[in-house]
Amino acid sequence: MRNRASLSRSPRSFISTAAVVLAGALALSAVPAQGASTPGVSATEIVLGMQLPQTGPASPGYNKVDDAMRAYFDYVNSKGGVYGRKITLVTKDDTYKAGLTVSTASALINKDKVFAMVGSIGTQTHISVIKDINRRGIPDLFVNSGYSGFYTDPKKYPTTFGGLGTYIVEAKILGKHIKENFAKNTVGIVYQTDDFGRNTVEGLATAGVTFTPKKTAATFIAGTQGSGLDAQMQQLKDNNVDVVVVGAVASAFAAAVASANKIGYKPAQWIVISVGADATTFQTILGARGIPAASSAGLLAGTISASHAPSPGEADDEFVKAFKKINDDFNKGPDKRWDNNILQGMNIGYLTTSALLGAGKDLTRPGIIKYIESNAAKLSSAALAPLGYSTKTHEAFTGFWIGKYDAATVLKPIDATRKVWTTDSAKGAVTELKYTRPAIAADALPKVG
Amino acid sequence: MRAVSKAKNRSIARKSLRRTIFFVILILLAGSTFEPYNQAQLALVLILFIGVLSVTLLTGISGQLSLGQGALMAVGGYCMALLMTNQGYSLWMAIPLAMVGSALAGLLLGISAARLSGPYLAGTTLVIALAIPTLANRFMSVLKGDEGLPVDVGYPPVWFTNLFGEPSYEEWQLYVALPFAAIALFFASNILLSRTGRMWRAIRDHETAASLSGVNFSRQKIFVFVVSATFAGLSGALYGLRGLVGPSVYPVSLSLLLLTAAVLGGIRSIFGAFIGTVIVVFLPDWIDAILHSFELSEQVSNFLPALVSSLLLILTVVINPAGVAGTHLHKHKHK
Repeated sequence: MRNRASLSRSPRSFISTAAVVLAGALALSAVPAQGASTPGVSATEIVLGMQLPQTGPASPGYNKVDDAMRAYFDYVNSKGGVYGRKITLVTKDDTYKAGLTVSTASALINKDKVFAMVGSIGTQTHISVIKDINRRGIPDLFVNSGYSGFYTDPKKYPTTFGGLGTYIVEAKILGKHIKENFAKNTVGIVYQTDDFGRNTVEGLATAGVTFTPKKTAATFIAGTQGSGLDAQMQQLKDNNVDVVVVGAVASAFAAAVASANKIGYKPAQWIVISVGADATTFQTILGARGIPAASSAGLLAGTISASHAPSPGEADDEFVKAFKKINDDFNKGPDKRWDNNILQGMNIGYLTTSALLGAGKDLTRPGIIKYIESNAAKLSSAALAPLGYSTKTHEAFTGFWIGKYDAATVLKPIDATRKVWTTDSAKGAVTELKYTRPAIAADALPKVG
Repeated sequence: MRAVSKAKNRSIARKSLRRTIFFVILILLAGSTFEPYNQAQLALVLILFIGVLSVTLLTGISGQLSLGQGALMAVGGYCMALLMTNQGYSLWMAIPLAMVGSALAGLLLGISAARLSGPYLAGTTLVIALAIPTLANRFMSVLKGDEGLPVDVGYPPVWFTNLFGEPSYEEWQLYVALPFAAIALFFASNILLSRTGRMWRAIRDHETAASLSGVNFSRQKIFVFVVSATFAGLSGALYGLRGLVGPSVYPVSLSLLLLTAAVLGGIRSIFGAFIGTVIVVFLPDWIDAILHSFELSEQVSNFLPALVSSLLLILTVVINPAGVAGTHLHKHKHK
């Protein structure tokens, strides 16, 4: 008697049906053959790939960065592209899950045949693919993560370059400010338990700002902030913390403020790492929790943060002006409201275009890596600090200025005149940086000559 | 009587072996003609096929509903990654040991779940799946928290490249997954055809009747958990070898993906497990291929695979509960 449940058909039937299924799968997902010697580069096109959370709990705010990058590339294409080649950006949603990041990287590399990865977002997700990307020699440009472990040893990851200043550099600079201005307060922290959060704690500790686990240090698992951070805020409140540092993404900062507001906890000062302090994301998330814009602006007002670039609210800044116009004219994303995320996306687009121009007409993967390593000074951007790229480090922006959000949700310099501070990702001192940013050209295109 | 039984066992083993050999040849033929992207997809099919088999055995055959197979995959993944990174074991040593580790986890789970059934069992297994990120952060020094343990299949050995030439990385991933998938298929096939499989089905259909027929259902329920966990652990170890073992690699949605694949293909069938896995792995590509020319916004296109698989799941449950494999079975029966 045959076993009806599982094996009632003959092996031949099993195999023939399975073969049809596999053939169908292949037919519908077949990859077109390409003959170009450098993948992703043809006479008319340069194909770039990007991974980011476009959906899921970590996506708010960050899902605008790719649209801003694409808008800048569309603007470059409208001006003739890079040596006659138009730039195409292919993006994949990894929902901030590393298992999916592996699959989407494979699709970008093997199916879309990208020339380089650019501006990918997420520390823990990028860890899952960085080794494979480097092993293949694919340029991994301007990653939107400040995790120093990606950049400080170019022998380990020779093709990866940062797109943010490292969390350690930023935390050391904020730590210096905390030591000098809040020595009499009880300083606590809420941070996500990944490299982002731990780098923040490490940088603050280097500056002499330390915390007691389960008392003045509250933690959460990245991605769980959607359900609120009530317990973490209650812990800080119970331990009389009156200065709260946030080492987490924007949605987590918003969740922390909402939870504090809910339990009646009003710390004297919030201090937030720059990637977590975007005003639009903050207000959008709080809006979804029923807090109107006017109230959320009030909750954000007075928050201290840092930035390597001008604030998006600085209407007179020449980069802000140029990028804002390009955003208005070219951004086709569902949410093109001007903010930190859009500014960062535009800046990565500008930086990428600059590197592609600098690498020359005969674009190759080793060529662009060598160019970036050797020509950091020529790669200008909107940032108020220079790029640190060299053969010894692939860290991006080497300095930050400290600001405070005003009632109109604009980050304004905390000093009367803006001071930019610099340090390294190790134990070096924090010192003032003297740097004059190269001006943007009238056509808003980078000049690398 | 004993001689008849031995002959029958040999016949079952031969049948399973034939099936496995055909399966291996099919995958090798497909893999050799595929582009690297599809080779990686096929490797993922093989890896998840083993995980879906664990659901087939546990839920489809023995009737124990688990929503936490992803957690057992994580156990396999972490065991393998720790053995490779801390002890320097090769993956060929680490994977079998990881299977032992997940079998032990399955034993503990089986003992605690032996008295549970239905929604209580589903709830218990779901909690275990939810606990993985917490455990990874609780034992930070060993499990490395959210960033996890980076591992991969590495490069093929010299004898392999001398014999077969230099494979692409994706092809090598496929060749690493294939022998394990073949072994899993052979054992699953053997179990389902054997007396053990019949006992599990008897427990699923009516515990009291099975008990009256001499089946020790408590022992068998624990045993099915151990076997299922071993399959899940193997799948999880191979899944981690794609680049990383960490909490974000084994989310709760992974458990639900395995269950979806099993239901779509046919939860009581090995063939259904394979078809279901092919559907869930290739579905985003099919949707992309079909809707490519429509230029849908990311807001729509990013949610379509989940939406379509949910619709398929509902339609399967309502219209054709036996899944794709069951449809074929139905046609055969009425010929």
